[in-house]
Amino acid sequence: MKTDFEKRYQRAPLHRPAEKVSARVRAASEDLAARLHKQPDRLVSLPYYEELFTTEKRKKELQILNRKVVGTYCYFAPEELIYASGDVPIRLCSGHSDTITTAEELLPRDICPLVKSSFGFPILGDGWIDACDVIALPTSCDAKTKLGEYLADYLPVWMINLPKIKNYDGLKEYWLKEIKLFLHKLEELNGKKVKAPELKNALQLLKRRAELYRAMYELRLAHPLLLSHQDLLMVVQSSFYDDLPRWINQTELLYNEMKKASATGKYAAKGKRLMITGAPIIWPNFKILNIITELGSTVVADDMCAGHQRLWDYAEPDEWTLEGMLEAVAARYIFPSVCPCFTTSYDRIDKILHLAREAKVDGVIYHDLRLCQIFDMEKDLVVKVLKENQIPVITLHTDYGQEDVEQLRTRIEAFLEMIL
Amino acid sequence: MITAGIDIGSVATKAVILSGHFILATEVMPSGSQPKLTAERALAKSLQTAKMERNQLEYLVSTGYGRRVVDFGDKNITEISACAQGIRFLKAPMGQIMTVIDLGGQDIKVISLDERGEVRDFVMNDKCAAGTGRFMEVIARALELRLEELGTYSKLSKKRIDINATCTVFAESEVVSLLAQDVGKEDIIAGIHRSIAERIATMGKKIGLKEVVAFTGGGAKNKGFCQILEEELGLTLHIPKIPQFVNALGAAVAAKAKK
Ligand code: SF4
Ligand code: SF4
Repeated sequence: MKTDFEKRYQRAPLHRPAEKVSARVRAASEDLAARLHKQPDRLVSLPYYEELFTTEKRKKELQILNRKVVGTYCYFAPEELIYASGDVPIRLCSGHSDTITTAEELLPRDICPLVKSSFGFPILGDGWIDACDVIALPTSCDAKTKLGEYLADYLPVWMINLPKIKNYDGLKEYWLKEIKLFLHKLEELNGKKVKAPELKNALQLLKRRAELYRAMYELRLAHPLLLSHQDLLMVVQSSFYDDLPRWINQTELLYNEMKKASATGKYAAKGKRLMITGAPIIWPNFKILNIITELGSTVVADDMCAGHQRLWDYAEPDEWTLEGMLEAVAARYIFPSVCPCFTTSYDRIDKILHLAREAKVDGVIYHDLRLCQIFDMEKDLVVKVLKENQIPVITLHTDYGQEDVEQLRTRIEAFLEMIL
Repeated sequence: MITAGIDIGSVATKAVILSGHFILATEVMPSGSQPKLTAERALAKSLQTAKMERNQLEYLVSTGYGRRVVDFGDKNITEISACAQGIRFLKAPMGQIMTVIDLGGQDIKVISLDERGEVRDFVMNDKCAAGTGRFMEVIARALELRLEELGTYSKLSKKRIDINATCTVFAESEVVSLLAQDVGKEDIIAGIHRSIAERIATMGKKIGLKEVVAFTGGGAKNKGFCQILEEELGLTLHIPKIPQFVNALGAAVAAKAKK
């Protein structure tokens, strides 16, 4: 809760429940699920994941289980510690366009759609934030940093002071302390200390998740249409909400089905092989992916924090002391991250080149979300290097709205014609 | 071989009938709210001009925003490749065209071509309409002029006015306040033209303005604007005789390949 010092200046939380808006949010998820359902030769294990977006089952379950839920944003809220505490992380970054107008009653118009969209939910009293006990919010970009002030009207907010510069000294000096502070807050919330074996279990669980994802990803590189990119993101993003052990079990089933299906040879990529880089593409804002599918090409890779990046990395559980494990956790959130909130884009460029080559892409699509300055500012160098490496690239400057679908189609189609 | 190209733009629909190397007919009409119907009418009228029957057409390609509404065509391509093929067909006396600037009703494109005349790279404005044909229409309306008159007025400008707004709505209010300050229409128009030209120049620099640079689309019919754009870019533009029809022509050229 707020300290007395923070309570000096208060704003009453804005509540605007609106069944119409909530209905549109549900409809957007249902429409997308229905659309994905119709994909030809789709694997039968996939509808499981849709339910996490189209039903409230998981939310009800969380209420019944009476576990503490930590709402998180971005890549950086340490899941390992939340799981080790016996709590549940739920990522609140949203892709719904329908909640944006709701949020604009309080938030300025000129901030990124992701933040506005996410903030619409507490105002509506809807969505996952309803199930949360606290919010863990990293100071990644400016919009996220300031969002904390608004969210604090509704729930206790733990800001996580994320460094902007990646370096080893700072990591130990400073970020490790931040991680420990976060653990301390969790311990306070739960009224019990986290012990080394608990953290080790959590690390092991997340390593299993990463290994499973890696196996799936590699299989998919050879047979991309086993999972359309829409389906891949759906699977990845359902892990933001699902019970982790259950998600792992389900995804093992999916992986086995993928292995069997790959033998049929039916799932080769169609058209051009593309990679998406840039701002997060979050359910149900899959418009770019849908257009690419309609144009007969295939997305085979991405480097997004709500996609590939989210599940690929993990902290190795080979340390025995709590201290050692916390260090591994601290490092895991800084060095592998290619989020542009860090000062330099070099790591990200290396990663994009690596992924693009590994997936043998014909071109890269740079998703530039309107009013997201950091991706926009990194674009120039990324585009330059890609071109120097003979990898064609196109920038799509867009937001969560649907009104520019035809313009986007023209750009993407022209790009595909160009890279013939 | 007789082919046709139809370019269903956001503002105007254009049709071209092509027989080998000869353009037999061109037709333009406002796209309106029923682009499919308009496309059919534009095609019918151009066939009439060419004195041809529908069944003499061997292949029809559509392009432009409405390209997918044409269900009586054989194929559709984007206006980017249509533009490249159209300009390649027309050629320029000054040498090979390496860059095309296209100012249409709803967007601005700069297309960079390779030695074979194929698209090498392109940039387009995002969904904001500032600087496009629609934008010019709004400005003309605020000044109580017809779109065609803008060029003539612009050439009369004596005084340099800087228009800062890059957004259609803001530019319109800026124009209104300039009028209230008794600034001459011709100076306002020249200012607006310069702001669009600057925008195009920035886009052009992003992908490189290798000469010869051609200027196409409805915007190229505005002579006053062409002059300012040349000044801004510091080069001589090649403006085809039928700038508005280049994309439709490109579609008709693409139709010759019949696939
Ligand atoms: S890109 Fe970075 S700042 Fe943006 S949502 Fe992802 S992790 Fe957060
Ligand atoms: S990084 Fe960009 S997209 Fe992500 S929250 Fe910040 S401004 Fe929005």
